[in-house]
Amino acid sequence: MIDILCDTILPGDEDLGLPSGAIIDIDRYIHRADIGAQVKEYGQLLDELSLEKFNEGFVALDVGLRLEIVELSRRRNNRLSNIIIIHCMKAYYTDANVLKWLPAGAVPPFPAGNPLKEDDWSLLEPVYERGQAYRPVSP
Amino acid sequence: MNSVDVVIVGSGASGAAAAWSLSRDANLRIVCLEQGGQGDPKQYPTTLANWELSRHGLASSKPSERNNHADYPIDDTNSPISIANFNGFGGSTILYSGHFPRFHPSDFRTKQLDGVGDDWPLSYQDLEPYFTLNEKMMGIAGLVGDPAYPEYENLLPPVPMGPAGQKIANAFNTLGWHWWPSYSAINTRSHGGRGSCINLGPCNTGCTQGAKGSVDVTYWPIAKRQGVEIRTECSVYDISLNQHDKVNGVHYVDAKGLQQFQEASVVILACSGIGTPRLLLNSKSVAFPNGLLNEYGNVGRHLMLHPLAYTEAVFEDDLKSSIGPQGCCILSQQFYETDMDRDFSRGYTMQILRGAPPMETAVSGYMMRRIPLGPEHHKEFAKYFNRTVGIAVIAEDLPHAENCVVLDDENCDINGMPGVKIHYTLDDNTKKMLAHGVERSKHVLETAGGRVISSFAPVKNAGWHLMGTARMGHDPKTSVVNSFGQGHNVENLFVVDSSIFTTSGAVNPVATAQALTLKICDHLRNNLSDLERST
Repeated sequence: MIDILCDTILPGDEDLGLPSGAIIDIDRYIHRADIGAQVKEYGQLLDELSLEKFNEGFVALDVGLRLEIVELSRRRNNRLSNIIIIHCMKAYYTDANVLKWLPAGAVPPFPAGNPLKEDDWSLLEPVYERGQAYRPVSP
Repeated sequence: MNSVDVVIVGSGASGAAAAWSLSRDANLRIVCLEQGGQGDPKQYPTTLANWELSRHGLASSKPSERNNHADYPIDDTNSPISIANFNGFGGSTILYSGHFPRFHPSDFRTKQLDGVGDDWPLSYQDLEPYFTLNEKMMGIAGLVGDPAYPEYENLLPPVPMGPAGQKIANAFNTLGWHWWPSYSAINTRSHGGRGSCINLGPCNTGCTQGAKGSVDVTYWPIAKRQGVEIRTECSVYDISLNQHDKVNGVHYVDAKGLQQFQEASVVILACSGIGTPRLLLNSKSVAFPNGLLNEYGNVGRHLMLHPLAYTEAVFEDDLKSSIGPQGCCILSQQFYETDMDRDFSRGYTMQILRGAPPMETAVSGYMMRRIPLGPEHHKEFAKYFNRTVGIAVIAEDLPHAENCVVLDDENCDINGMPGVKIHYTLDDNTKKMLAHGVERSKHVLETAGGRVISSFAPVKNAGWHLMGTARMGHDPKTSVVNSFGQGHNVENLFVVDSSIFTTSGAVNPVATAQALTLKICDHLRNNLSDLERST
């Protein structure tokens, strides 16, 4: 269910070449973050709301209706919803493949780093020209 | 334990500088006790793709998030600013940004010049050679010729501004305001046996490359070679006095949980503006029933934190703003010195910050309702990632006795030593200064073509700069140590960290704290035999 949630809130974007949230190893993340119980509770909330509104469980809905349920869950239990949604985002935006696709520059273990061009320090000419900017103090 | 000449408590910025300085005398036996553990740069979070997660875990600046046994309880509920620190070998330099400007000449004379704060018992000129020496040791990048300072002698090439810095620099020029490339403890070429920065960005979780000048890779390797013994996971809880009321060593709990005593002729405290008063206040005796050096109730008082304001803007262009050292880009000291036309005394630095990394961009964008969930998420994310620039206003914090650190007997560390409570409020001068800084930050960001998306003050989780709680001065009734960092009434006890600052200036304190340390240690080395004889 959690991978369906990730796909709902972070769907792939072909134009930008970004993958769906479903591709990340969310189970591993949940285990490391020790949030299994909260994920289960949130899943129950999503199912409850789906049944209430559409008479179907969350995973059976199409993506548009799932997103509607996620938004509804934020109004029903904002704290729990935000915890899980933010964890999904954290898992997604710290995934090595996602970082490469973004692109977010060099991705650890940082074989090369990120080049930055040499600066043109003639930009400082006006600052020089205005002269001393600190206050004189007698010793 | 065998007696030593000097025991240093704390291995951070000042403790490391003291260890290096004193150990140039090969005859001295020096031990440094550090309550935290020894980190391994190969294991720093930046070696992993998910390094951003560590900002709320092991590499958090908040003790409450780290779950590190070396931390002690800090109750800062009575403060609008939370205390940030790091307890481990190298101290808070492991997590700092490396922004490394000096204090200005006027910072040492605020009473004389502006009728506020207090004058230091020394001057900028007294510290100048030590600033220079320290910058060489730490590897400071920047550019000489800054009109906001007396002349610097030599610096490594500046950290690249990147497209974001250039955009803001042009805006400062349009406004006719001062700006300058940041003074940065970051190698921009090989220096001190360390490699050059490769512009990754996450300096605040520890620099795996060793390009950032944290003291574990600057002062400490030399100090160790010169013979200093470092003992980690050793928590000092009491400074001991002899029958003449001079210090004769420290009591500590070692890594195995055993109580130990290290005898020493001289004790140097370098535990930060929170840890140093905590240890002094906990060191009670017949001669000092309210804590060591606390005859006049000054220990722990005059806490200064550098309240910050933060303003952020987003730009249309891809500025690659998340690339490069996050805290080191350019700065402006246009509003540093007192201007009688303003409604506040003293002033502030504007520190230009690079853009947030991916996870922070997404989460903050979601929380601020700028970046939606669902099909539009990535398109909206792309409008922010690498396109934001922030300005942190670092405001001078005037000293007030009411702003203080006190022991918290109800909350103790794992060894039973009391934690601390912080009592701190912002004064009207600071509030006006922050408001002014926010407006000027918005002005420069909008002049650069940005759209301001966030602006607030004070920043809650930004109490990194811990100053003033064992202040230096000439008068024992109003200060804790003299101009040599020496206890007024306990001449073989020295304090070298930023707790001895008389005023706060409006720049990051490490450069000044280390310069003070080097000056104090020169004095100590020259007078050590007299001190040892007298004790």
